[in-house]
Amino acid sequence: MADYTLELAHLYGDLMNTYGDYGNIIALRYYAKQIGVDVDDRLVSLNEDFNPKAYDFVLFGGGQDYEETIVANDLKAKADGLKEYIENDGPLLAVCGGFQLLGHYMEMADGTKVDGIGVMDHYTTNMTDDQVKTLNGSRLTGNIVIKNNETGEEYHGFENHQGRTFLGKGEKALGTVTTGQGNNGMDKTEGVIYHNVYGSYFHGPIFTRNGNLAKRVLATALSRKYPDINWQAKLNQVPTETF
Amino acid sequence: MSVKSQLAKFTAKSSHFLLRNILKRGGTSLPGKLAVKIDPEVLQTIEKEFDLVIVTGTNGKTLTTALITRVLRAGGYTVVTNPSGSNMVQGIVGTLLTTKVKPSPNGKKPVAVLEVDEANVLSLAKAIEPKYFVLTNLFRDQLDRYGEIYSTYDKIIAGINQAPNATVITNADSPIFARGSYSNQRIYYGFDNVKEADFKDLKAPTNTDGILSPTDNSVLHYDFITYANLGRYFSTTDGFKRPKLDYAVTALNELTPKSSAFDLDGTSYKIAIGGLYNIYNALAAYAVGRTFDVSPADIKKAFEEDKQVFGRQESLNVDSKDVTILLIKNPVGTNSVIDMMETEKDPFTLITLLNANYADGIDTSWIWDAEFERLHDSRLASLSTGGERYKDITVRLKMAGFDLDGTYQKTEDILKAIDQAPTKKIYLAATYTAMLQIRAVLKNHGYIQEEY
Ligand SMILES: [Zn+2]
Repeated sequence: MADYTLELAHLYGDLMNTYGDYGNIIALRYYAKQIGVDVDDRLVSLNEDFNPKAYDFVLFGGGQDYEETIVANDLKAKADGLKEYIENDGPLLAVCGGFQLLGHYMEMADGTKVDGIGVMDHYTTNMTDDQVKTLNGSRLTGNIVIKNNETGEEYHGFENHQGRTFLGKGEKALGTVTTGQGNNGMDKTEGVIYHNVYGSYFHGPIFTRNGNLAKRVLATALSRKYPDINWQAKLNQVPTETF
Repeated sequence: MSVKSQLAKFTAKSSHFLLRNILKRGGTSLPGKLAVKIDPEVLQTIEKEFDLVIVTGTNGKTLTTALITRVLRAGGYTVVTNPSGSNMVQGIVGTLLTTKVKPSPNGKKPVAVLEVDEANVLSLAKAIEPKYFVLTNLFRDQLDRYGEIYSTYDKIIAGINQAPNATVITNADSPIFARGSYSNQRIYYGFDNVKEADFKDLKAPTNTDGILSPTDNSVLHYDFITYANLGRYFSTTDGFKRPKLDYAVTALNELTPKSSAFDLDGTSYKIAIGGLYNIYNALAAYAVGRTFDVSPADIKKAFEEDKQVFGRQESLNVDSKDVTILLIKNPVGTNSVIDMMETEKDPFTLITLLNANYADGIDTSWIWDAEFERLHDSRLASLSTGGERYKDITVRLKMAGFDLDGTYQKTEDILKAIDQAPTKKIYLAATYTAMLQIRAVLKNHGYIQEEY
């Protein structure tokens, strides 16, 4: 038993885990273990309450269109809890569909409009929307590299999405696209940072390939829960996996 | 047969002859293309000559097709199949046209057993009306190529709807196959090897999908799970549950990496291949065989006599090391391979090779959904990695808590890995193009004779 424990909620982990999203938990646990911290992950799925006070980290992964519509419907009941969690600087990683559903709405490839919970200010059109001036009608697929302008960190990943996301007021991009397409293929933004929410189209395991980001988010979560310890310093001693 | 059809058939046959014997290309694709160009009617001619069985699904198509072929042949049927792995419509038509059909020894109509990619079921069913559809399973598989499982399933259903008189022989343990509206007769196969007293209330692991009830989209529960999302499922919100089985695995007797012994409807069978998932393939073949009135005794003969059919999981002798090559391509398939390694009684070495070319799937995210962690409970003695994406797989295994004994960036160096392995038993798990590469190296050094 480690002395410190992070409580992690895997939001709809049974339905929204299509692209190896679970790898993010594996990566967090990998780094946490090396500094004596346990990560306790719990599935929070359909018809279950989300208690914003119970968690130190939330993972909301990507799903297939079909599951995403089911989740979107259930998510309304968790919206207040998630809003409270986010506004209180709760750390959250949202990938692909999870990223989309925290915004105002998203459009499926077939044009169906699905309501998000609007706890964040972005919205997502589909690939054939008039607003899409670049690569209209095609999925954005391939390897991607972005750079976080504030930290200078570079993140590597793989994107595969039809939806085009446009960030809103108060939202910063996770990074600027160096190679690849990013949120919409047009404005060079990729992902989002809002309070301690990190959103991205990087498929599934963004933390596994980008140890720098995993460690940063882990330090944030730990410092929020155990403020008297210099977690960043501890994590600096741990080798970073990046590829 | 109309003159036009005969001409089409002749053209296909002679172009096949040309390709095979003059150009020395084994292709089955071009002849079909030529024939269809000349006369779509030729397809109706094929329909009259064969009962068509289409085998489709994510995993296990090839072995299921091969087993069905053996089973039906053992039952006295003349069977045509597409062993070349060319499962595009043109190639299939080519195969059917260029095969000399002898009447079945049992006096019944010859059967064509064809492995068909999920995406091609509709176009094939439009061309030639199948008598049977055999559905193996549906898992997510290289989403960059195949898309989502529900849309894949919709494509299969569209194909089934083209042939309302066909019978659907389907895996009852897969909840997604309970979806879809089609009026065809259904025959169900599945596992019934767990006693009611041992039923639990389970949910599928988080890294599977297709677990929603078709009635109200609630998450399904299971009395027992065989693997991934397969098992005896039920809904807690209404009466929806797994359908009654027509053909069942009634006992698992002995599972080893190289063989599986089990009972089907109370009779014992054995196949010379490990892995629970392969028992599903055998069960599907058994269900087809029984549907075609092949006797259990003949099915047993078909399963037990011919070992060549299990060629995919091949074992090689490399300087007295016992090397087994395993293809991995998606999370469920990889978990099945891990299941199989868990039944290994001797200490073993695992060398995992990852590529991300088109045929492998260009997105490597799936390796994070494969449960490599479970190898901690196996007799794994040494672990190393390689392939063009060796970095991805190395970090995956490191984060799974393993100390690696080596990372081999060049395919040629895998021979060193084999040589230096501390165990006699070695598993080489590789994605498709990585497997082709290592096979080429093994062939160059004389460890493999035949072409794959
Ligand atoms: Zn995606």
